[in-house]
Amino acid sequence: MNLSRPDRLHRLDALAAAYALGTLPARARLRLARVAQTDIVVAATIREWEQRLSPLSEAGPPIVPPPQLWRLIALRLGLAPERPHTRVPWWKLLAFWRVLALVAFIAVLALAVVLLSPRRDVTGPPIVVVMSGADARPALIATLTRGGRIMTVKVVDAAPVPADKSLELWMLPEDAPPRSLGVIPAVGVGRIGLPVPPEFAFARVPTLVVSLEQAGGSPTGAPQGPVLYSGKVERFY
Amino acid sequence: MPGPVTSDRSAQLSALLARIALGDQAAFGEFYAVTSPHLYGVALRILRSFAAAEEILQEAYVNIWHHAGAYEVAKSQPLTWLTSIVRNRCLDTLRRRELVALIAPPDDDDAPSYEPPPDAMTAAEMLLAGADAQSARDCVEALDAGTRQAVALALYQGLTHAELAAQLREPLGTVKSKVRRGLAKLKHCLDHASCTRNR
Repeated sequence: MNLSRPDRLHRLDALAAAYALGTLPARARLRLARVAQTDIVVAATIREWEQRLSPLSEAGPPIVPPPQLWRLIALRLGLAPERPHTRVPWWKLLAFWRVLALVAFIAVLALAVVLLSPRRDVTGPPIVVVMSGADARPALIATLTRGGRIMTVKVVDAAPVPADKSLELWMLPEDAPPRSLGVIPAVGVGRIGLPVPPEFAFARVPTLVVSLEQAGGSPTGAPQGPVLYSGKVERFY
Repeated sequence: MPGPVTSDRSAQLSALLARIALGDQAAFGEFYAVTSPHLYGVALRILRSFAAAEEILQEAYVNIWHHAGAYEVAKSQPLTWLTSIVRNRCLDTLRRRELVALIAPPDDDDAPSYEPPPDAMTAAEMLLAGADAQSARDCVEALDAGTRQAVALALYQGLTHAELAAQLREPLGTVKSKVRRGLAKLKHCLDHASCTRNR
């Protein structure tokens, strides 16, 4: 049917209105959309109705989409995945302060390394394990001096832990099953006592991981939950 | 008279679209931040499914990135252009779902679906509250309550004539002619208002 014939313009107007409003049943809607692809009069009439109704159809409260939507779009387009933002001065950006805090923290660690190394024979070089999750951003940092028996685990930027779960720290030896170092706090700083000096405890342990376990840690002595973070054991000589 | 907010926003969005057409990623991010809550609201209210609404928005923004240059300032305001694209995609999805459901009844999937909060505005209230230009509000107010309700349900929840008839418990023919008369009235009123506005 040629809808753009002058004697049918009234009918076209009614159809275009119902299309723009959205009330056309499925088949009629598909048909009209197909006609509009080639018939510019039909297309223009629909557009006219969309414009006319726009002050009304644009109404309705906004709903902020979940953050992963932007990440998916950025991923598909091969763009930098930074969270989009309206222009905010850099000193008001949380990310800036986070990075600054992280950089400052690493600088403190590095300074500690420098300060401690001349007395190597007394305290020994520290062991530092930076553990990160899938996004490769540092989540937890474990530090320890050789000869020391207390390992400090600092949560830098870990995801919140549900109330009925705990984070558990594990050693992954080269040739043995994972060994638990104990449950660590989900925020702040945790301290874990080692049964033997770290030179022995970490002798054949290249990796530490953190898994999500039931509250209080895995009851079986083997990790049961997903591994959230992992990091290589770095020795500073 | 269009509110100064609307024209400011349009100018801002047009400028961003021009930069996006040149491949400016920062402009694209800003454009997304400004427009996505609006479009997500439109899509979620029609589709009632988080996953489906996110899929439509994903497609829409991928297209914007690739075809920002196709936007013609003279023809419509950016948000109108975008809302039309997203609404039409949503309605197409909804209708396709209905066609498929005729052949195979939908399996009850467990995907979370969107339910408007209990204190949310009704469709008819949205129609009144959202028409930010006084002239548009006057046109909506001039409709009788039943017609206003039908138009609002179609606009914000994507109901067809048949679904409107079921929801309003009226014969299909009655609903159709009610909507048709309502639209004719809106056309007259809104076109008159925009003439006055552009003067």
